[in-house]
Amino acid sequence: MAYKVNYRDVEFNLFDYLKIQDLGQSEKYAGFGKEECSAILGEALKFAQKEIDPLFKKSDQVGCKHEGDKVTAPPGFKEAYHNFAANGFIGMDVPTTYGGMGLPVGLTMAATEFFVGSCIAFSMYSGLTRGSAHLIEAFGSEELAQRFVPNMYGGKWGGTMCLTEPQAGSAVGDLSTVAVKDGDQYKIKGTKIFISSGDHDLTENIIHLVLARVEGDPAGTKGISLFVVPKFRVNPDGSTGEWNDVKTVNIEHKMGIKGSSTCTLSFGDSGNCIGYMLGEQRRGMPMMFQMMNEARIACGLQGAAASSAAYESALDYAKVRTQGGKTLILDYPDVRRMLITMKAYTEGMRALLLYSANLDDKEVVEKDEATKEKYAGRLSLLTPVCKAYCTDMGFKVTELAMQVYGGYGYIAEYPVEQYMRDVKISSIYEGTNGIQALDLIGRKIGQKNGEYFRELYEEMNGFCTKQAAHPAFASEVGSIKKALDQVGQVTMKLAEWGMSGNVLSPQLHAMSYLYNLGDVFVSYLLTDQAVLALAKLEEIWKSQGADNEEKKSKICTENDEARFLEGKVKSARFFVANILPQATARTKAILADDQSPLKIRF
Amino acid sequence: MKIAVLVKQVPDTETKIKTKADGSGIEADGVKYIVGPYDENAIEEAIKTKEKNAGSEVTVISLGPVRSVEAIRTALAMGCDKAIHIDDENSNPDAYVTAKALAKVIADKGFEIVFTGKQAIDQDNSQVTQQVAEFLGWPQVMLVEKLEIAGGKATATRRVSGGKEVYEVPLPAIFGCEKGLNTPRYASLPGIMKAKTKPVETLKLSAEKGDAQPKVVLSNFRLPPEKAPGRMIAGDAAAQVKELVRALREEAKVI
Ligand SMILES: Cc1cc2nc3c(=O)[nH]c(=O)nc-3n(C[C@H](O)[C@H](O)[C@H](O)COP(=O)(O)OP(=O)(O)OC[C@H]3O[C@@H](n4cnc5c(N)ncnc54)[C@H](O)[C@@H]3O)c2cc1C
Repeated sequence: MAYKVNYRDVEFNLFDYLKIQDLGQSEKYAGFGKEECSAILGEALKFAQKEIDPLFKKSDQVGCKHEGDKVTAPPGFKEAYHNFAANGFIGMDVPTTYGGMGLPVGLTMAATEFFVGSCIAFSMYSGLTRGSAHLIEAFGSEELAQRFVPNMYGGKWGGTMCLTEPQAGSAVGDLSTVAVKDGDQYKIKGTKIFISSGDHDLTENIIHLVLARVEGDPAGTKGISLFVVPKFRVNPDGSTGEWNDVKTVNIEHKMGIKGSSTCTLSFGDSGNCIGYMLGEQRRGMPMMFQMMNEARIACGLQGAAASSAAYESALDYAKVRTQGGKTLILDYPDVRRMLITMKAYTEGMRALLLYSANLDDKEVVEKDEATKEKYAGRLSLLTPVCKAYCTDMGFKVTELAMQVYGGYGYIAEYPVEQYMRDVKISSIYEGTNGIQALDLIGRKIGQKNGEYFRELYEEMNGFCTKQAAHPAFASEVGSIKKALDQVGQVTMKLAEWGMSGNVLSPQLHAMSYLYNLGDVFVSYLLTDQAVLALAKLEEIWKSQGADNEEKKSKICTENDEARFLEGKVKSARFFVANILPQATARTKAILADDQSPLKIRF
Repeated sequence: MKIAVLVKQVPDTETKIKTKADGSGIEADGVKYIVGPYDENAIEEAIKTKEKNAGSEVTVISLGPVRSVEAIRTALAMGCDKAIHIDDENSNPDAYVTAKALAKVIADKGFEIVFTGKQAIDQDNSQVTQQVAEFLGWPQVMLVEKLEIAGGKATATRRVSGGKEVYEVPLPAIFGCEKGLNTPRYASLPGIMKAKTKPVETLKLSAEKGDAQPKVVLSNFRLPPEKAPGRMIAGDAAAQVKELVRALREEAKVI
């Protein structure tokens, strides 16, 4: 059952395609050459396989327990968490100021795929801690940051993000938790539900980042402020003080990620819960969005990482399971179709996420302000796509993995049913995928008068122009160009509807639009990678004197690198030939604008 | 204390080994190399010993081709302080020549305690540690599972069939480490970043081995024969047992 990943594909993305080692020439990442990045990546995989993977089953079978006033994580989590922290994995990509490692975001994303893929539930604790600590670091006073952040990156204290309330899920603006000024600090009162890592026994203290409304502030999102609320108070000298009146009322019993506690937290039942305001009053939502944007991409990574793990598992199974005499199920066309679908989606998602993470790094090292902004804008445009596309496709891939396994996939002895259950939540939390689609069409596409969208469009269009006559991929490039034009066409249509006061049709088709953009962008990335892969493959063929098909084929059978490169070419071809046409079909449906969903009397 | 740890870079256990067509060695292409697994225990013990003895320093020594420096970097990232790479100049020396050169370097640098893995997992010879001890005239304990150091003496426990042996040896001494001795730490991220600034001294095997000549010549490499597939025995339980016993006795000849 051991966790497996196509390590070469991760390396290919980082070092061959994105060339993150070139970041090492910048001042910020001086010294991060390929050797260092590889060493870090290798160590991360080793840690995932040896320390996290053994927690996978226990995470599900034992789950979290709430007994008396204590919440415990599954056995082994605590030791592994401290080991994880001691190795510097919590704050990999955050500045070194308060104990982060200052590594490139792309490298961190690649390493995190291993942690998430080997056990999503375990990775939640460190992910939320990193996100909340980084938020305090980014917006808190020097004093606040010093007091909380080093212990969070160091693994001594955990962190959470507390938005959701019973009546305020997607509509965070409806929250009713209040903050009342009390000298330099605030008294917090309210109930938050569904809080991941809200309570557990991994760390001595838990630092909650709580959205609340200061008494008297306006209703809606504009009146929300952000507070640092520790479970146990922290004295100015850093020592742990008394309990801060944060009570765990309940933990949820759920479909998946059972090793990640999901808690109902009651703040200030006895009027004794102190919070420290982070940043400015009524600026809570914009600040929380820093964490949420990171968390949305991290969510997308859950989709991609689970896909990858499920694919590798299904592939291994298909290589040993025979049916119908000695025939491996791997040899049946329908099983091969499922496997390559999983492979192509998995590689596509990985390419999308690492490309996006790399935008962050490019922005950081860029000196020119206008270009800097361009990268940041593109990342913000792609964020809802990363989140919703990768989590929906991620679920689909885990489902295909189960199908490949047949009945054995449905039973708990094999890992795939757990991958499927664990990954499902990723399309729901951090803003449901429906909300992501609305974010894409309502805010992101039109941002800066549509400039970020136009630039993304131009990047893809430029690729199509450049490779239009490519000897091996002209047909794929032609298909991408066609689908891209359709995205342009639909974008105009959405704008047209909007301008004519039809707000419902764009909302109705937002999800299809997001999938289309995802399919086209992924087709572009996979084909661009295939162009590179084929060039490398041809070098190998040439260097080994393969001048005919038979010799070339032999090399691809025997040489691991050649086999990998050939596999990249096949992934791209398959994706463009079999998955991209779905975008064309959806385009047709969007333009037809069938109103039944709005008209039907349920 | 001046501590040394001897490590060897070996093929990953998961690497599919292919032999060269002429049988002169293994195909280096596509092989992934790692630090010998038992050597990791040796590194851990060396670092622990340093942590317990203020003012100590750990030097990692690896004899092998240029790629061995990768293994050295890993050891440095785990927490060793500096390194010596003895470049074998692609001569792939046998245990005797290796031990001669290592013993000379250890003596030259004045190390007081040396750790090694119990064996390297490439050829599984388990020879170098003992030979180094012999050439240095030092005590050695192999398969160490527990070690305590105090007052210039070491108490080492090793497992033997049916029990344990406990040795008390004066330092300097050399210890061949077994899995159960400790849990090797990971190369932490700050460790990896620091590793590249730590000094690596390069020596040449030809200069360090003196006039030692190999005692072992590797003449031919081939893969072990493939295992025959298992056989299912049909029939009810009684018939199966009967057939199994017959097969074990007459075919496998194990009972
Ligand atoms: C396991 C788990 C962990 C969680 N962890 C956290 C956490 O750590 N911190 C935290 O604050 N929250 C957390 N949540 C809460 C999660 O973020 C919310 O469940 C999520 O935001 C959706 O809110 P809701 O459940 O109230 O659904 P609702 O908002 O009621 O949504 C129900 C449906 O309506 C749709 N919908 C709602 N509004 C609109 C709209 N305007 N337009 C179109 N469709 C709409 C949604 O897309 C969805 O399909 C967690 C939830 C779970 C289950």
